[in-house]
Amino acid sequence: MRRFLASTVLLLLGLLARAEDRVSWEITPRVTAPGQPFRLQIMVESDVLLGGAQQVDREIRPPRGMALRLSGQLVRPDSNEATLNFSGVAPDQEGEYVIPAFTLRFARKLIPVTPIKLIVSNSVAYQRTAQARAELVLPERTFYVGELIRGAIHLRGGDDESVVASFGLESIAEGFTLAVTADRQPLPAKLGQGMRTSFELTPIREGTSELSLRGTMLIQNTDTPAFGNGNRDRPFTFRRKLVVEHVPERGRPADWTGAIGAFSAEAVQVSKDRPEVGEPIRLRAILTGTGNLDRLIPPEIPGNESWDVLPATERRRQAEEQRFFVYTLVPRLPGKLLTPALRFSTFDPLTKQFSRIEFKPIEVTVTGNAPAQVDLVTADPAAPVGAKPQVAAGLAAPAPQRGTPIFRGVPTLSLASSGAFWSGNGLLLAGLLVLTGGVLYLGYLAAHPEIRRRRRARSIIRSALLEAASARRRGDRHAFAQSAVRALQVGAAALLDAEEAAMTQGDLERVLPGVPRPLLDELFARAYGNRFAEGAGEAGLPREDETLELLRRLQSLL
Amino acid sequence: MRSFACLFLCWMASLGAAEDRAISPAEIAYQKGDYATAVEQWSDEARQNGVSSGLLSALGNAEWRLGRKGRAMVCWERALLLDPRDPVALAGIRHALAAGGTERPAPTWAETYASFLTEDTWLILATTCFWVATLCIIVPRLRRRAASEWNHRTRVLALTLLVLCIPGLWGGRSLSARAVVRKVEVSLRLTPTLFGEPLNGVTEGDVVRTGRPLNGHVRVTTADGKTGWLRTGEIELIRGATLPADLDQKAAP
Repeated sequence: MRRFLASTVLLLLGLLARAEDRVSWEITPRVTAPGQPFRLQIMVESDVLLGGAQQVDREIRPPRGMALRLSGQLVRPDSNEATLNFSGVAPDQEGEYVIPAFTLRFARKLIPVTPIKLIVSNSVAYQRTAQARAELVLPERTFYVGELIRGAIHLRGGDDESVVASFGLESIAEGFTLAVTADRQPLPAKLGQGMRTSFELTPIREGTSELSLRGTMLIQNTDTPAFGNGNRDRPFTFRRKLVVEHVPERGRPADWTGAIGAFSAEAVQVSKDRPEVGEPIRLRAILTGTGNLDRLIPPEIPGNESWDVLPATERRRQAEEQRFFVYTLVPRLPGKLLTPALRFSTFDPLTKQFSRIEFKPIEVTVTGNAPAQVDLVTADPAAPVGAKPQVAAGLAAPAPQRGTPIFRGVPTLSLASSGAFWSGNGLLLAGLLVLTGGVLYLGYLAAHPEIRRRRRARSIIRSALLEAASARRRGDRHAFAQSAVRALQVGAAALLDAEEAAMTQGDLERVLPGVPRPLLDELFARAYGNRFAEGAGEAGLPREDETLELLRRLQSLL
Repeated sequence: MRSFACLFLCWMASLGAAEDRAISPAEIAYQKGDYATAVEQWSDEARQNGVSSGLLSALGNAEWRLGRKGRAMVCWERALLLDPRDPVALAGIRHALAAGGTERPAPTWAETYASFLTEDTWLILATTCFWVATLCIIVPRLRRRAASEWNHRTRVLALTLLVLCIPGLWGGRSLSARAVVRKVEVSLRLTPTLFGEPLNGVTEGDVVRTGRPLNGHVRVTTADGKTGWLRTGEIELIRGATLPADLDQKAAP
């Protein structure tokens, strides 16, 4: 009996020893470069038939930045061994990354797996552009609650690999709503081969939140034959911390209703620019830009005495980055009317400034006749029946003595309407102009003394002519000669810019070329001969006419 | 210097005495709610001593209390022409716009600028600057001497002030070219004719901008931009007689 018990214990110990499961793993390559794909293989050997592992992706939790996905498992139904293959992509930062211990759930048994370590090093030679890779396109800035953020995931092929499909996009975005707007679209040519998945993200609460996106792309080696089956999957994952704030209350206009983005008023159109009174027309305002266009509340346009305004819906399909605000307008009066102005405020998240969008009114010519009476509703319809009108309480206390005495007795007309003011200023201005003109004229005369000199000479010659004529009538030859000679001397001096008394017969010949010398000699002798001898100069023939002609000739030269 | 100080002290004392004045019967009547008496007495005072901004704005308050919106608006607007910062007139116009159902054109930037000084002050300032600048330019030429540095500075200062006065003059002109609708339920007409087609309704107390007169009518623009014609007797220009005109009284033949 004792032997039996001992052998039984030994047998049980042996069974227990056999019950220990063996788990081994292998990462290829063992040391990766940042962002480099790798493969993880976990081999399990147990004492029971294992079957397939279940919910492996839920159990395994790769470290931050690492993408890891179960790509397949090899399980034979009659074997107690299983091999699980994972495809992964190393994080972008250098370091040692540990996949925490987890449990593989088989049909009959739970098998724990010890932590798995991956070393990421920059010393590993790796050409990133040769491999297919995923990139997250999302602006890096502070976002605002209610904003529409457009993002995309670019699945870009490499030199050795091309992206043929993608699937399984999952998002964990607390505090955001995420909507995929376009999936598996071809990349723009400048980015090379690949696919693009676009999404829209909307923050719904303030604070710092984490956006987590993961998925899988199907890649193919570029040297794989056309009909070969060289496809394999590669996971990708992104985690991004996003800071979300409320649109600032400071400086927020009263008419801001949640528009966030960069918008511009494109155009205002009316369905008919010559309607009749009472004929409804459609007013369409086109808003363009980037932002939460779809979430904008159409601005309200109050009706007025010119227009009745009714909201309307647009049946036309709206293009991306474009929004229509449509209203039905009913003209109430004829004439040239302006459509109601449409305006609202927006917040630009890039500049963090509020701005105002305004659709300018357009002119509409309304034909027809006005109704007999236009009833304008000015009473508050919500007021109770019989309510007394509001007492005017906004007047300030009067202060009739306010104001300095100089304001007393204000004239009925303004200074601008006063004739005395303007006439006084006009007289002053005219006087100033006259004074200025006079001073300028005197200055001109001072600069040109010959003007005065010739003027004086002309005056003297004119009086000399008169005196000579008088002397001639009297028969006074001496006086005639004196006045003629003086006039000749004065005129010649003015023309030669010389002294009058110094003018001789020679000077007169210079001034009056061709003048007969005997005539001059006779005139000078008759005029000045008495100074030298009594009776001198009395001889000679009287040539008064010739002398007077000479004076007139000289006068014409001045 | 001593005599100057004495005169200054006397002036200050007279101002202080003015502050300690007794309340006038018109103010007592106003406080008691006898607005008709207040209007009568303030009007008499204005006819005897002339108007001031305070008197006009007080008169406007009393007129408003009596329900005469047009007369009240005329008083307040005229008070603002005399003193653009008269608090009583400003409060009255604000109240009329907010609770009284009247409309007033939004001031343009030039009008806002012009309201810093009165229209006459702008004109006096501009005229003074013009003459100073003109004399600074002409006198050295008449004297045939080079302008001194002081002359240059004065000239630049005067010309700068003159340029700054131009928008004030323009704004003051457009401010005083407004009018107040004095009749109840007046229609803006399409044409300046007796049976002109009614376009829009304006009411007593509304302020309009006036344009050219024609055929006993004046072309006006309302606060909301409507343009039409009103009869001359239906409006009263803000710049005019010191007290609001009595429209019920027939004009002398």
